[in-house]
Amino acid sequence: MPRSASWSLTAVWVIALASAAVALVPASVDAASPAAVPLPATHRDAVPAATSAVNFELDVMPILTVAGCNSGPCHGKSRGQNGFQLSLLGFDADFDFNAIVKQARGRRVQPSAPEQSLLLLKAAGIVPHGGGVKLPAESENYATLKRWIASGMPRSQATDPKLVGIEVAPRDRILPAKSREQLKVTAKYSDGSKRDVTLLTAYQSNESAVAAIDAAGLVTAGALPGETAIMARYMNHIAVFNVAVPLAGKVDKDIYASLPRRNFIDELVWKRLERLGIVPSEVCDDATFLRRAHLDVIGTLPTADEARKFLADTSPDKRAKLVDALLARPEYADHWANKWADLLRPNPYRVGIKATVVYDQWIRDAFRTNKPYDRFVADLVASRGSTFRNGATVLYRDRRSPEEVTTMVCQLFLGVRLDCARCHHHPFEVWGQDDFFGTAAYFSRVGYKGTGISAPISGSEEFIYTRTEGTVKHPLTGENVPPKPLFGSAPVKDDEDPRAAFTRWMTSPENSYFAQVAVNRIWTEIMGRGIVEPVDDIRATNPPSNPELINALAREFRAQKFDIKQLLRTILTSHVYELSALPNPRNNWDTKNYSRHYRQRLRAETLLDAVCEVTGVPESFAAMPPNSRAVELWTHRVQNLFLDSFGRPDPNQDPPCERLAESTLVQSLHLMNAPSLHDKVTSDKGLAARLLKQDAAPDEWIEEMYLSVYCRYPTTAERNAAAALVPADRTKQRQFAEDLLWALLNTPEFMFKN
Amino acid sequence: MNPMRNCEGMTRRNCLQLGLAGFAGGGLTNLLRLRAQAAEKSPNPAKSTARKPTSVIMVWLDGGPSHFETFDPKPDAPIEIRGEFDPIATRTPGMFFSENMKALAGISDKLCVVRSICHNQGNHGAGNHYMMTGSPTRIPVGCGAFVSFHPSFGSVTAYERKTPRGLPGYFSIPSMSRSGGPNFLGAKYAPFVVSDDPSQATFRVRDVNLPEGLTDDRFMGRRDLRKLVDQLPRFADAAAGDPVGAVDTYTQQGYDLVTSIQAQQAFNVGSESEKVRDGYGRNAFGQRCLLARRLVEAGVPWITLYDGGWDSHSDIFPKFRNDAPKLESSVAALISDLADRGLLDTTLVVMLGEFGRTPKISTLSGKGSPGRDHWANAMSVLFAGCGVPGGTVIGATDRNGYAAVERVLSPENFASTIYRKLGIDPDKIYYTPQGRPTHLVSDPTPIKELMA
Repeated sequence: MPRSASWSLTAVWVIALASAAVALVPASVDAASPAAVPLPATHRDAVPAATSAVNFELDVMPILTVAGCNSGPCHGKSRGQNGFQLSLLGFDADFDFNAIVKQARGRRVQPSAPEQSLLLLKAAGIVPHGGGVKLPAESENYATLKRWIASGMPRSQATDPKLVGIEVAPRDRILPAKSREQLKVTAKYSDGSKRDVTLLTAYQSNESAVAAIDAAGLVTAGALPGETAIMARYMNHIAVFNVAVPLAGKVDKDIYASLPRRNFIDELVWKRLERLGIVPSEVCDDATFLRRAHLDVIGTLPTADEARKFLADTSPDKRAKLVDALLARPEYADHWANKWADLLRPNPYRVGIKATVVYDQWIRDAFRTNKPYDRFVADLVASRGSTFRNGATVLYRDRRSPEEVTTMVCQLFLGVRLDCARCHHHPFEVWGQDDFFGTAAYFSRVGYKGTGISAPISGSEEFIYTRTEGTVKHPLTGENVPPKPLFGSAPVKDDEDPRAAFTRWMTSPENSYFAQVAVNRIWTEIMGRGIVEPVDDIRATNPPSNPELINALAREFRAQKFDIKQLLRTILTSHVYELSALPNPRNNWDTKNYSRHYRQRLRAETLLDAVCEVTGVPESFAAMPPNSRAVELWTHRVQNLFLDSFGRPDPNQDPPCERLAESTLVQSLHLMNAPSLHDKVTSDKGLAARLLKQDAAPDEWIEEMYLSVYCRYPTTAERNAAAALVPADRTKQRQFAEDLLWALLNTPEFMFKN
Repeated sequence: MNPMRNCEGMTRRNCLQLGLAGFAGGGLTNLLRLRAQAAEKSPNPAKSTARKPTSVIMVWLDGGPSHFETFDPKPDAPIEIRGEFDPIATRTPGMFFSENMKALAGISDKLCVVRSICHNQGNHGAGNHYMMTGSPTRIPVGCGAFVSFHPSFGSVTAYERKTPRGLPGYFSIPSMSRSGGPNFLGAKYAPFVVSDDPSQATFRVRDVNLPEGLTDDRFMGRRDLRKLVDQLPRFADAAAGDPVGAVDTYTQQGYDLVTSIQAQQAFNVGSESEKVRDGYGRNAFGQRCLLARRLVEAGVPWITLYDGGWDSHSDIFPKFRNDAPKLESSVAALISDLADRGLLDTTLVVMLGEFGRTPKISTLSGKGSPGRDHWANAMSVLFAGCGVPGGTVIGATDRNGYAAVERVLSPENFASTIYRKLGIDPDKIYYTPQGRPTHLVSDPTPIKELMA
């Protein structure tokens, strides 16, 4: 869009406001605006009304925002930059006005000689400016600022129209590779007027390689296929443009029509793939399915005998039967509780050992009894009683202020990250401090009795109860904030714990976030990638890769009364779940539409347990009974080099729940050379020793090892290649068997779910 | 008191430890010999004329060493502040150290002492974080806290700088310091911890050396076997994002590390002459200093030498009388050796803890012998090498050592100095996985006297 067009549109805006122009003239002397500076009368009076129709809130702040002046790395950071600080992304107009007009002895603005204002000298780079030239002296935005200063720095009046929202057009597009699309952003005001703010809008592409956008709102599709969202931000308002760049070439429609549809998951995934011209991978073989399902449901590898039995079974519904059988296994509870423990687990040095153990057991119990998810959350969030008897209360022992609880509960159970909104308006979202403290107010009456935190032991019992009163204060106004949820309403009845009202609101059908973030977490564990990614970051500017799918899963979860096992059954019996990990030429670029199974490295505990099971030599853990499995540990503080190397959460980090899914050099070295692993492989009680003792032929024990580690038979080529290397001398065969076991354990085929 | 403990009685978790187990024994003797021969035939990279990239050795005295008993003696202060020790003259006229810093006093022409760094974090958790990352903790933390809100110097250095021969870029010896983690940079940039004692004849680095009893022939056999059984298909197209690719990269780096003569030689303190080994001190810390020098020679950009036990709430005088000379003579030997080898121009050695100690000597209840408590209003930091002007003192505390009063400097100034020496811009902005922009150091002003 040419620059001149914007100028003419600005002119239109001035005309549209002509009726309000009278009110604009006395500007900043409004007594209701405490930060406003009364200016010498001469300045105000000298300015003709027509040119002063530029005010701080509606005209100046958008310029400061789009030029990045108030961004986090510049003057928006908490220490400001070179003594000049603005509120982050302009969330506090009073503060910014004060900083520009009043501070630095007023030398940032000079109405008598506007071009000598430090604000303009710096921004235009006329005097040295660390941030570079932001507003060239010949630019439209420079002229607007100059006009504003010349007119005596007026502020917006109560009677002026307010910005109520923005719209981006178009909202979504499928763009051919390397093609372009111009976006248009329109601001809407309380008086019904509109204004083209395309050039005053900040844009950000979530993936620039797929589609990039320039400052003027021109989108350019990349050379490679993919999908992304582009965020347009004008002041505190956000609009999103979704773009997909499909793979060139036509795909026969019959391909999609002929794909199996076992349930709604298949239907919705195929629909998406068809739109993008992606062809799904083949179905995986039985051995891959067997291993995948075991790892997903119970976090345990099948034994060689279980593998033989499943592979020999010829019944057509054997995969569905396997899923049912796995869901009934006792290992299910520990495996899934372990995932939740990552999110909830406190530091025992902080809350005490007994409280940590009781909490851990509470979580495991919930999964043992398949407690409905809404009950699980309600029991946790509204918990009361002793930290030694009701493990759920340890949440409150750990998070001791309404603010801390708010951040945690909203992120875990709603997928809403409110942390930013505690101090400033969330830069990518609609949430502000009012939302944060309105939510925190629901937790303002949590009471504590007994002995609090006395790190590093904290060994005492504490009681969590509901007090009769309690408030939170807004940090800017200092006033008490009444309970108010993020959206909708959640009134607190008389004599009711406000937390009960909050959980009722959270779990009600009107709250779409609750079920969405839950199904997204579970789906991510199975499928290797969230429909929303990161899993707990649901917002308009981070759209799901398949909105219909996440909605349908959430609906299903609610319809099944939040039965987690039933949800798992639905996912695991879909055709989509059975797809091979191997890409084809029409889906190899797809990393978020589930056209193939995405490989995942086994998590630390699962991998260590698998090593122990395969080798037949258990690990010994401190503070645990003998023969315990890693998945049963009640704290990450139980020392174990293997688990540390493979990225279990580090309780010293903030936030502590980050679990490392990546591979590292340390991991490769550990599998290769760790003495503890070497001992397991070469143990007299280990797999190699056991197999060789049975006087089996090399062919048999080679097969047994493949079945134990890879859960599949060796191919003929593999069988022959290994057999050819077996030493003829029987006394040397055991060492060879150990080396073969080491080799199998050191491959990605063992370390990954394929 | 256990030297690895501080006043909260807590030890750090053995995060990502790799150290331990003897070096001599198994090893890759044959293989290494072959590689050594090959290496001799190739031109010596050390003789290249290009300037060696900068390395940093940070001697971390955990607990917070007293400034009075090290580099800021106060002979004119009242007895309850002065303490038991006298100042001694150094090689540099007018520069005085505490009497237990004899060896360092002897090379003061190579040293710069900054006496005026201070901050406001008087507990171990927060103080460690501030001085190990250049950033204060985002929320108040307790004394016993092991926290990380910002990447440590070492992790940033490993992230910014390439290291040759498969060696990790960040070593922490013999353990990770409290806030020495990578935070949002990811575990790839966590310190490589060598926890075993190089003063032992059996020293070797666990996981980098073969496990006890495994011969190199057998290891090579295993390696061939692994290749044979590794049949999982890889995705040819990079766009498919195969996570197995990273494993292949690291497996190869692991093999390189295990079989690289240069990498293995970096750990081989046993190959040093008896004279050199004696010079560094025949104790764990001394030999760790020697190991640090060898790692610098191998091109490792960041080494933390961690030494615990400087939280002297009690027994401060016996502690300094007995332990300080051993420590400081090893550090002096390290600095002199680096200078002799022409490495000091490109190696910055710093020595510090999380804060200084209270001026007034006190005896805590239940303790027989007096000590000093936490004091963040003043601390002394030792610098050497990398263009730091020798024989200089920057800043000063008041006459009783209460507060930094001249050239008052912040941990941010300290951090920016270190990053500038490494060629890393402290004003750089990182983006966390949540998309939050974070300045590497919030105030990118280095200590200008050190930057000449």
